[in-house]
Amino acid sequence: MQVNGQPHPFTPGLTLHALLRELAIAPERVAIAVGDDFYPGGQAPDCELAEEDVVEIVRAIGGG
Amino acid sequence: MTHSDPLTIAGKTFTSRLMLGTGKYHDFTVMRAALEASGTQIVTVAIRRVELKAPGHDGLLDALNLERYQLLPNTAGCRTAEEAVRVAKLARAATGVNWLKLEVIPDPKYLLPDPIGTLKAAEILVGEGFTVLPYIQPDAVLARALERVGCATVMPLASPIGSGRGLRTSELIRTVLDGAAVPVVVDAGLGVPSDAAQALELGADAALVNTAIAEARDPAAMAHAFALGVQAGRLSYLAGRMAERESASPSSPVAGVVRLPDPEIPA
Repeated sequence: MQVNGQPHPFTPGLTLHALLRELAIAPERVAIAVGDDFYPGGQAPDCELAEEDVVEIVRAIGGG
Repeated sequence: MTHSDPLTIAGKTFTSRLMLGTGKYHDFTVMRAALEASGTQIVTVAIRRVELKAPGHDGLLDALNLERYQLLPNTAGCRTAEEAVRVAKLARAATGVNWLKLEVIPDPKYLLPDPIGTLKAAEILVGEGFTVLPYIQPDAVLARALERVGCATVMPLASPIGSGRGLRTSELIRTVLDGAAVPVVVDAGLGVPSDAAQALELGADAALVNTAIAEARDPAAMAHAFALGVQAGRLSYLAGRMAERESASPSSPVAGVVRLPDPEIPA
């Protein structure tokens, strides 16, 4: 699977919440896309991920 | 005058006509002081991937008083309509805001926007319920097309992003202003408050500034100066400028001027 443009080791049964815990990302104030599904971090479902999934985890930063 | 002359974008009214970016500040304290001094009510933010190796730092949204500011997430860095649409949806999920400063910029040197990609993305995003404020070159034909697909403003550039070169596009911005049905926000390249004043004097409805304030020696003081520049420009526009003349016109009456005694006149 891909996370933020990088290959990420996939383990069968991995869920989105487990991935966030593994990456030490607090879901508040981030947004997550799994394929074409977009979620505020705090509302992301604990869905099971698939090996072909493309995951994006983003946040707001300073910009003009 | 600001209270009787509000700026209205997509049905929301604002007393300030100065929008600020949040990039390039030394730290959040300096940024907050600049936002405060500017009186701005609309602030832009960018959306970036979380660093997977060093998560948990920053917290721009925690540093901003979200009750006070209309957030305007941007799609800076997006090169195509498709990338911009994806980042827009992430931005909405990250901020809870459906306003979007649409940027589709394939050119890294001058950061010039792609008009075709911008129009395409704007149409999709308006259809998805976004309030779209597109960054454009000052092209009146494009501006009208963006109005027709439902954009809330158009944001023509003064000069390249971050260049501080000032209002180099005033003739073209005049053509965008002529008959515009949505607010026109001059964005990018303004270097000093007189540039912003000039834009508002032309009839632009607002200006967006980031680098000129963030890179000033004293960002908060410069933010205040830009607020005054925008106010002066707007007041000037409403007051209606004088007509230009080819030659001089004395300000003092020509009659009754004191002359040296005329030797022809007998004493």
